[in-house]
Amino acid sequence: MALAAPTMRMASSASLHPRLVNPFSTSRIQFRMQNVALPLFPSLTLAVPVGLQLGLPPLGSILEDIWESVLKAVPKKKTSHMKKRHRQMAGKALKDVTSLCKCPACGEIKRMHYLCPNCAATHPAEIFSLAPTPTAVLSASGSSSLVVHDTTQATFPLQQTIPNAHKLGCHHICTARGGLGNIAASVGFGGEIKVWSIPKSEDGGSSNKEWSLQWELAPTKTGGGDVWAVALSADEGYLACTTSDGRIHVWDIQAQEKIQTYETGARGSGSFAMAVDLSRDGRLTASGHESGGVYVFNNDAGRMVYSLSGLSKPVRTVAFSPGCKRLAAAGNAGVIAVYDMEHGEHVGNLTAPSSRPAWITSLDWNDTGEYLLTASLDGKVKVWDAGRSVCVATHSETDTALWSARWLPKTERALGPGMGKSELFCAAGASRSITFYREATGS
Amino acid sequence: MFSASGARRDPVTKSQTRSRVNQRVLPARTVDSDEAPVPHQGQTSALSRIEDLFESIVDALDSGEELVIPYQNSRTPQNEQKGASSQQSREPFDVIRFPGRTIQEAKRFEAMFRILEMSHQALLSGNIITKRNIYYQNPGLFKSQSFVDVMVDNLASTLGIGREDLNIVAAAKGLISGPINITLRDGSTHCCDAPGDSGMLLPSASLIQRIDFRGVRWVLVVEKEATFRTLAASRYCVASQAGHGVLITAKGFPDLATRRFLSFLQRARPNLALHALVDFDPHGVAIMRTYKYGSKRLGHEENATSSRLRWLGILSDDVLPNGSADSNASSHDSQGHSQETESQDSATYSLDGSQNSFERRIKRARVEVTRGPSDSVLPLTLGDRKKAVDVIKEIVNVEEPGDDEMGQIRELQRMLMLNVKAEIQAVDNFGDLAGWLDEKLIGAGRGQGVSRGWFLLPTDEL
Repeated sequence: MALAAPTMRMASSASLHPRLVNPFSTSRIQFRMQNVALPLFPSLTLAVPVGLQLGLPPLGSILEDIWESVLKAVPKKKTSHMKKRHRQMAGKALKDVTSLCKCPACGEIKRMHYLCPNCAATHPAEIFSLAPTPTAVLSASGSSSLVVHDTTQATFPLQQTIPNAHKLGCHHICTARGGLGNIAASVGFGGEIKVWSIPKSEDGGSSNKEWSLQWELAPTKTGGGDVWAVALSADEGYLACTTSDGRIHVWDIQAQEKIQTYETGARGSGSFAMAVDLSRDGRLTASGHESGGVYVFNNDAGRMVYSLSGLSKPVRTVAFSPGCKRLAAAGNAGVIAVYDMEHGEHVGNLTAPSSRPAWITSLDWNDTGEYLLTASLDGKVKVWDAGRSVCVATHSETDTALWSARWLPKTERALGPGMGKSELFCAAGASRSITFYREATGS
Repeated sequence: MFSASGARRDPVTKSQTRSRVNQRVLPARTVDSDEAPVPHQGQTSALSRIEDLFESIVDALDSGEELVIPYQNSRTPQNEQKGASSQQSREPFDVIRFPGRTIQEAKRFEAMFRILEMSHQALLSGNIITKRNIYYQNPGLFKSQSFVDVMVDNLASTLGIGREDLNIVAAAKGLISGPINITLRDGSTHCCDAPGDSGMLLPSASLIQRIDFRGVRWVLVVEKEATFRTLAASRYCVASQAGHGVLITAKGFPDLATRRFLSFLQRARPNLALHALVDFDPHGVAIMRTYKYGSKRLGHEENATSSRLRWLGILSDDVLPNGSADSNASSHDSQGHSQETESQDSATYSLDGSQNSFERRIKRARVEVTRGPSDSVLPLTLGDRKKAVDVIKEIVNVEEPGDDEMGQIRELQRMLMLNVKAEIQAVDNFGDLAGWLDEKLIGAGRGQGVSRGWFLLPTDEL
């Protein structure tokens, strides 16, 4: 329409011209009249679009719908062949993935050092939590079963599936950090805690690696409030769990009884405790809360020793360093706050230069206490150098949410030929598969 | 006569047929209407059953026996499964006797008898009475509205018929807005396309004779009246890029009339896309599920579910603070900074990520800067968490959870994991849902692809 109108104007002025010219003889007046002619006959120029529109309705009704989708579908800018070729020659094209191998479990082709997507998708729902032991990694998802993968072999084969562990799905699973790895605890969305164990065989051999249920704590017996996060002590004797009303219960696993309850607010009205951790020496318990508060309790004295501030947004994860000297906490603020456990001081923040960092869902120290590992909702795994307070590596294999990232305990022998005794970690989340990473420096 | 005129105006008819062929390519543009099926047989059976009851009561009076009305508590089926062994006193079929053992029972008998009488009268005359009306007929007897509601539902379930078959309905609560015409049985035609934000009260589905869908492509069920009014006032039903559509709300948990209407739409137009727009919280999911699968208590009501209803939003992906919001937020931050009062030094403001969200919202409201998605989420309360677990339980107990159900479990679990909820308004900037809805509705249409015709090639490079 915009194009049509000017051309019609030209035509109309041209056709009008002779008629207007006739009475006059000089060319000067002709020009003047020509200029005035257009405003004098607005009805003509207006009439033209109407005439065109009359022809339109059947066409318009068809095209209307096409435009709506076509206009949106058209690429806004075409990348020319030359441009594409230039990038390719400059080595910036997408690389072919050549590191492929056959999955030993299902025979499908998969990426080397990655879990087979077919096999890993044994979790039909997203994975909410990972728990490593020295020989395996346990994973819990929104489905009812728990899955165990062997980490002593380079292909990370599926070791065991525990069906119907938690009917409504499982949100937390934990093993003892620095422990033997014979006990695991999981919490389901229904609010029940289950403690799993590998029964000790008489000869002490490693032939039997099957996990079995040792103890189930029904939601009604957990002592008020819905149970959320869990942690196990390094000697695998105690279990700490948090509740939605801000309490932390500590249970003796052998005796199957509650030995301690820490309150963080007025009775039954504390802020939702989203995270908990026990220090490896068994002396301290830390909890992270919805309100942003971080509390540290002394297990020997049975009372709170530090109430730590610094984060004002919900704290989703807390972790003691292996030496029990430091406590790291992170959550919606997107920064990692590090506290000193000798004096209860806030010693620093680890931050990424971003205006709005993503929520951190998981935090873990490696066995030497040098590195921190975080997973966040934007799908990024970050490795931080705790000494220099900088992010040393960022992995973004997925853009869906990550719920958990864990270092695997360091083992004596190499996983496979050419892999060395490097550090390994794993991450999992909404993509429903577990991704394993190893240190790239090699040795 | 028709053929003669057709022959005379041959060229015209030809062009007309051609244009009609053109129109048929796009099914949504065709204008037609559907006759509503009439549920009559239920009402006659209700009448006969009530009369049977009356007869048995008269017989009992004659013979001087105790007067008995069978009465099934429709809440019992769950109790029955759970505590069949523990609770023997609860029988699946209960009765109300007169004169009963207690004074309450006598009162209940009277109330029930009164309801039966009124229902009988309504069935004979063909009128429809509301539950509210029943209550006001005898407020001293019924004491409260909820007593009447429970009585009526239990009566319907005892007789094994729907509540509407008794000619008893709840007062209309649902609203509708959109370019469709509804013709009722009494011959009156209502255009739901009224200007303004108020919409039209939903008529009872049994009163509808025909509906003229004028090129309507989608139906959007909105949880909240406020959202409904905003969308209706902005004429979203005709201004949407996804074509014309209809907005429906039941103001919170849906009543039977609204659910029946939706179910009626689904049966009348199997190609019509039905979408639900609810809050991202456990109650929102429960409301969506009530539309889709019906409610537990009113399980005996037929034609009150809409299995094709699709959960449009809000899902966790819409409210989660993701990377795309980042650049947006940073620009707003800087803008906010420039307009900020001098009391805020820049150091504090750069740490804004860890600031109190409440304080921040006030700040933003004053300078009128867009709220980022992560600012509009709220933490779940203990009640919300319980409700979420209950809904998951309900879904898991279904025999075979399909894809939709798995999606619902997933969203609820995410809700619990993140411990956040969000209102519908969380997706919009400046209260404008239209852009987000356009995107979602068009995306949904593409996903379905069936009703959209040939031009819908896979266009992934959006």
